[in-house]
Amino acid sequence: MASAPLPPQWVIDLNSPPAGKPKSAGIPDPPGYTSTATGGKVDTTSPAQFLILTVLQKQQSSSKTAVRAPPTTEEMDVLKLKKAWEVALAPVKQLPMTAIMMYMSGNSLQIFSIMMVGMAFKNPIMGLMATNQAFEKFETPGTKGSLLMVKAVYVAMQILALALGVWKVNGMGLLPTTRSDWLAWETARDPLEVAIPAF
Amino acid sequence: MRLPINLLSLTLSILPSVFAVYSDEAYSVDYHHELLGLPLPHTTFFHRPRKEEKATLLYTLSDLGVLGAVNPGLGKVVWRQLLAGIVGNETGFLRPVEGESTVVSAIGSRVDSWDAMSGKEKWGNVFEGAVKDLEVMETAAGAEETKDVLALFEEEGKGILRRLKGESGNVAWEFEDGTSDVPLQVSTNVRSIFIVSLHGAWGGYNLKVTALDPVTGKRTNEYTLSTKADVHSAEDVLLVGANSAAPIVAWTDKTLKNLKVNLLGKAGDLQSLPLKESDGPIINVALHAPNLVQSQPHFLVHTHSSVSNRADVYHIDLASGSIKKAYELPKLPGQGAVSTSSQEANVYFTRHTADEVIIVSSASHAILGRFPLEIESDHGSLLHGVSEVVQRDANTYAVRSALLTSGQDWVLVRNGKDGWVRPEGLSGAVAAEWAEIPESESLAQTLEAEAHSNPLSAYIHRVNRHVSDLQYLPGYLQDLPRRFLSSILPGDIVSPKSGVLVRDTFGFNKLVIIATRRGRVYGLDAGNQGSIVWSASAFEQPAGKTWDVKGIWVEHSKGTTTVRGADGEYVMFNTTSGNKIEAMNPGTWPATTSTVVVDSPSGKWLLPIGVDGNPGEVPTAWAPKENLVVKGSNGEIKGLKFEAGKETAQPVVTWTFKPAIGQRIVNVVSRPAHDPVASIGRVLGDRTVLYKYLNPNIVLVTSVSDEHSTASLYVIDTVSGDILHSISHEGVDTIQPIASVLTENWFAYSLWADLLPTTETLPASKGYQIFVSEMYESDVPNDRGPLGSAANSSSLEPSDIPNAGPALPFVATQSFLIPEAISHMSVTETRQGITTRQLLCTIASNNAIIGIPRTILDPRRPVGRDPTTAEMEEGVFRYQPYIEFDPKLILTHKREVIGVKDVITSPAVLESTSLLFAYGIDIFGTRVAPSAAFDILGKGFNKLSLVGTVLALWVGVVVLAPMVRRKQINGRWMTS
Repeated sequence: MASAPLPPQWVIDLNSPPAGKPKSAGIPDPPGYTSTATGGKVDTTSPAQFLILTVLQKQQSSSKTAVRAPPTTEEMDVLKLKKAWEVALAPVKQLPMTAIMMYMSGNSLQIFSIMMVGMAFKNPIMGLMATNQAFEKFETPGTKGSLLMVKAVYVAMQILALALGVWKVNGMGLLPTTRSDWLAWETARDPLEVAIPAF
Repeated sequence: MRLPINLLSLTLSILPSVFAVYSDEAYSVDYHHELLGLPLPHTTFFHRPRKEEKATLLYTLSDLGVLGAVNPGLGKVVWRQLLAGIVGNETGFLRPVEGESTVVSAIGSRVDSWDAMSGKEKWGNVFEGAVKDLEVMETAAGAEETKDVLALFEEEGKGILRRLKGESGNVAWEFEDGTSDVPLQVSTNVRSIFIVSLHGAWGGYNLKVTALDPVTGKRTNEYTLSTKADVHSAEDVLLVGANSAAPIVAWTDKTLKNLKVNLLGKAGDLQSLPLKESDGPIINVALHAPNLVQSQPHFLVHTHSSVSNRADVYHIDLASGSIKKAYELPKLPGQGAVSTSSQEANVYFTRHTADEVIIVSSASHAILGRFPLEIESDHGSLLHGVSEVVQRDANTYAVRSALLTSGQDWVLVRNGKDGWVRPEGLSGAVAAEWAEIPESESLAQTLEAEAHSNPLSAYIHRVNRHVSDLQYLPGYLQDLPRRFLSSILPGDIVSPKSGVLVRDTFGFNKLVIIATRRGRVYGLDAGNQGSIVWSASAFEQPAGKTWDVKGIWVEHSKGTTTVRGADGEYVMFNTTSGNKIEAMNPGTWPATTSTVVVDSPSGKWLLPIGVDGNPGEVPTAWAPKENLVVKGSNGEIKGLKFEAGKETAQPVVTWTFKPAIGQRIVNVVSRPAHDPVASIGRVLGDRTVLYKYLNPNIVLVTSVSDEHSTASLYVIDTVSGDILHSISHEGVDTIQPIASVLTENWFAYSLWADLLPTTETLPASKGYQIFVSEMYESDVPNDRGPLGSAANSSSLEPSDIPNAGPALPFVATQSFLIPEAISHMSVTETRQGITTRQLLCTIASNNAIIGIPRTILDPRRPVGRDPTTAEMEEGVFRYQPYIEFDPKLILTHKREVIGVKDVITSPAVLESTSLLFAYGIDIFGTRVAPSAAFDILGKGFNKLSLVGTVLALWVGVVVLAPMVRRKQINGRWMTS
């Protein structure tokens, strides 16, 4: 009836990692820093929780003097909407840069310009396909109505970026817009009479 | 100096695309039969080109008027000169100058002296009248000066003998025979010169012998020999003895019973030598006598009966002037050839029969050498030849003879063994046609049969076929290494099986059927360096007559080739074997002016067009479905249509085109039969389209007016007879060659034009010029002209509006100056017409064929300014008026192709490549890739290194993979 045997040493080591080095007492925590031990476990990898965390930290930092009230749902919605607008307008911010690069790369068919054109098409299309995912995190019952507008703007922006790619492709002469592009489908006239030379 | 630099850079930028021949392809893709024509008995001889050396060359002036020297050891041509004019059937004369490095030739009205070693002309002199004979004036022994030349001319019916100085060709003296006797020949011994002429009226000439003093050219003696009406023409006189010590004149009586001989200079002396009949009547008598003045005065009489031949040797006694028979050579069956060879005083006769070669001395009948004749392949019987006998030591003799055979091969026989064979019968081709090598049709047929039968039986049939195909597996496996090696090893290390006619994947192996002027037909393998696959005699032509071939039709479905001649004759051969299937002799059918392959309800056939362009009635079942375009007897162009009756269809003339009064039509060209067009428009720099005017029913007619020196060109619609376009040039030399070609939507022509003060039409220049015109449906891009988007076009009713005129093309024209006359134009043909066409021009003066790229001959090249960006994108560059015939453009590169009459092209399976074949006196063939060979690896591609690289990578992977794997495992498990 012996008690359960002690787990091996490496199990103990694994379960209780050595404590972090004690901080040197002279250096205070930076303002707004809260030890994880006090703030509780927050998964900083999740953007939403991270946001909350930052907000909390800000509140905490400001509540050094006065304890902040937790944000209301309305405030959160406004914040989310703001963030959503940023996301929606992000593609258009890259446009001038892309346009300049496209203009610089010329209209000849080279590897660089082909890659540029490839990216110019890939990004907007991927963005369009991921429209809902991009705004998923902002979606609350409160923001649902106004988010539709944001999404529409987002889609418009992506289409604008796509148009830039089309403009570039047209400049490179890859769009079948001229008569010569359809020449291969045109046929010579069939002569109704045939005369064979015999001389 | 900005301009030349621009031009230079432009030229450099286009150069890589315009190389006609790459150096590694020269001599491997092209082939050339360097031919002379058939050697004639009196103009062929061995001669030492260098006095101090014993080596001799074989000289001949052929029936085509080509003077050439052949290395008798190898049979290779050392040098050649084309002496004949355009007609090419003047009799020529060629004499060696003994002891000098000179041969003298006379043809037409010119006399030339040539360096025997190099073939360079020493002098040439042209006279009035026609040359009748040529002789080298022997000087007294030991004289150092150059030997003079005697040339006998006929001028306005009178004989004129001129003595030309040996070093300059200037006339030393001239003797004019005042009478209207026909000058025949000239002969000389050292003391005097004899002119033999035909005296009297046509139908029974007497022979007149005029003796002249060699120094002054004054007449010393003249006498007439009565022939008793035995001599009717110049051919009846057998021999006028050349430079022998005792020159003779000889002829036979009508019945070929006696030979009449006169020693020149002895007036009353006429000796009759009986000709002995052996079996059957004698049909041919020939005399052979030495040509050297120091040789013994012996001669040989060679008589042929229909089945055998024999010879008698006669000696002339110089003192008494009597001729006596020395001995005779016995009768031998078959045809034979006798040739004479003299070494100093000794004269040797070499007799060639079907199975042996015999050398005898003229002095005695003892046989000095006897060799069995061993010729590997059959060339037919021996017609005539020349030989060279060398005395090795006291009792052994060696002989080599160059013999012409009835198969029209020139064969060298060295002591009875065959040395080389020159297929001289190939020369003088008058017509040629491409023929596909017949595919093994069985597979296609079985596949078709399977497609039509029910699925189950088709399946069983297929399995059976595959099982029976297994019998070829061992052979296939055996062949595999060779195929593998031949595909990776460079060049011809592993040569394909020769002597077998098979199609290749690239379509380079094709046959060319050639008909020659002498009535022979040859089949050449274009894929195997133009080697002769078969040859056959179609219709033997009499001497001096050219077989006028009007058409060759290769019928691929039956594997037969039909050759039609002008006199209604035709002959049908098996395309691959040359076996004669059927023949119709000349004269049995009405005369033919041209032929055309027509499609009728009963199938395709070769329709002969009779005189005045009238094909005559044909049965309704065989009436052509299409209209025809024919040439009338006065040179007019006519459109024909067959109106079907109950049993026969009548040709009805629908239109006639006659040029303006005083003009004659010199040339009519149509688009090639195979002329596919890949793109119906031309894309401009701004990506608009100029639509090509693609009417298959057009011909380009060239007519000239000799009186006004003008040339007019008309583009005629051949259905309606409408003139679609016409151009006129003034100041044109109508004697210079005018060549033209029409293909796709463009035509080109070249002529010699002068600058006239009245010229207004085109910017004119003086010199040889080439004109290129492109026809478009409209001059406005993106516009399809008056017909709009109609899918059909009718020449008779071009639009719905009644009596509307035809849709005229917009024509863009540009002219260029060229350095030389173009005697013939042709254009490349490719399978689908994607490859740009190349203009193939024959330059007769240079003995070359040049391929001019279309980019140079572009009418849209901007004149007087640099091209704009859009134009550069279109591919046009600045116009330069002068096209230099860059040696890089010359398809024949170093080869001298003489007498080219026509150039024909044929598409290969590879789109990039067109096969070219030129014929005339010579035969030349090559492959042309106008837009570079974009669909086949060049010879420079190193397959071996590619395979080596792949193998090396594979070995590397095999070696490295375990090492890497071990290292990765070690990296996981070993801590250190």
